[in-house]
Amino acid sequence: MNYIINGFLEAFNLLFSLDPEIIQIVFLSLFVSFSSTIIATIIGIPFGIFLGINNFKGKRIVSRFLYTFMSFPPVIIGLFTALLLARSGPFGQFKLMYTPTAMIIAQTLLVTPIIIGILFNHASSNGIEIVVTGKTLGANKKDILILLILELKSAIMIAIITGFGRAISEVGAVMIVGGNIKGFTRVMTTFIAMNNNMGEYSISIAMGIILLFISFITNSILYHFIIGDTYEN
Amino acid sequence: MKIEINNLTKDYHGNTVLNLVSDSNPLVFESGMIHGIIGPNGSGKTTLMKIIAGIISQTNGTVLYDGDRLNSKLRKKITYSSHQPTLFSRSVYNNIAYPLKIRNISKKEIHKIVSNLLVEFDLYNIRNHDAKKLSGGESQKTALARALSFSPKVLCLDEPTANIDPKSVQLIESALLKRQKNDNLSIIIITHNLSQALRLCSKITFLNQSRFIYTGSPEDLINSSDPFIQDFISYNCL
Repeated sequence: MNYIINGFLEAFNLLFSLDPEIIQIVFLSLFVSFSSTIIATIIGIPFGIFLGINNFKGKRIVSRFLYTFMSFPPVIIGLFTALLLARSGPFGQFKLMYTPTAMIIAQTLLVTPIIIGILFNHASSNGIEIVVTGKTLGANKKDILILLILELKSAIMIAIITGFGRAISEVGAVMIVGGNIKGFTRVMTTFIAMNNNMGEYSISIAMGIILLFISFITNSILYHFIIGDTYEN
Repeated sequence: MKIEINNLTKDYHGNTVLNLVSDSNPLVFESGMIHGIIGPNGSGKTTLMKIIAGIISQTNGTVLYDGDRLNSKLRKKITYSSHQPTLFSRSVYNNIAYPLKIRNISKKEIHKIVSNLLVEFDLYNIRNHDAKKLSGGESQKTALARALSFSPKVLCLDEPTANIDPKSVQLIESALLKRQKNDNLSIIIITHNLSQALRLCSKITFLNQSRFIYTGSPEDLINSSDPFIQDFISYNCL
């Protein structure tokens, strides 16, 4: 029991000592997760809305594939990305394996289906009515696109925050394609996993607290802007 | 705007949900008139209304608007409002202002038009309320005010007074009659309320089992010997 209490005490010491290695790891984690979430958002939002508001043959099958991809295990994504980026793989010439770029690619593959799936779901249930109403009021294609983004902004926010949450907390894919190289591809989750294996609980707890804090901040933003308003009213 | 319907059919998943193929004259909705569409549930009223409003397309046949087929220019002059309207996540004021904003009308003019509509539809006190949190009647009045804000030429209404209080019904009917007389607005209205159809409409079309079986004046409808129409009238009189 003592090692847990001591672990927490040491963790707070580490947090307030502003260790340069920890700061570098935190910033790399944020950089990789923000980058992948931004790319996934740019791809996922229009794609999810487009699939949601249009009725086409095979829409049901597309939705099943989407929901499967949403729960894809990160290690599988990591393995798939590694196969593509390995020296002998189809993109081996770009020498991206064990770089932050490889980690961004893996996380983008992980997050994009989540964003598409959430937007697809909301656009399927509300989007068609919004498009029809916009058209009957004389809106052109540009007006309808703006209207859809404004009307689905809660879903867009939820999709982004969920995607970011998935990216920042993910360990399997970044471990495989990043390699957890000190000072280069080591991020918070791989750092925690490594130190836990080495029995360095205090430093694992310190990083865990930072990860929880970031999670808390992002979820607070979501609560304040979307869910909080709904409950308070 | 005069609307002329010729041999219209609509198939959905292999079933014919509307079949207005006729050897006689086309179905005509005259300009500046209130034209009622009545009939039992599932008779194709809403499908016909949605085709006229350009929301869905027909399988066969033609719909002509002053002699022209539907195009993007004409589409901006036709609007549709149902008894379960989709209001946007913004205030009542901004919902009514939306069609004017997308037409790049000046803020001053928008304020003038919207303020008049808010007063006319008894919505002024709730102008800043979130439209998503309105009651059914308030939602319908907001949707109708929004539909009228840009002075359309054709207004398609699907049960606009379903489930709302008598005062609001009177208010909506007065607004419709005023627009028809003053602005020459063509109104097509689906209603299950025969007395409302008789109060408002100069012409009524009766649909049954995806076909139209009567179109003419309300007086002739009442005196019709058709058993379906008589049955419908008898239930309305109960």
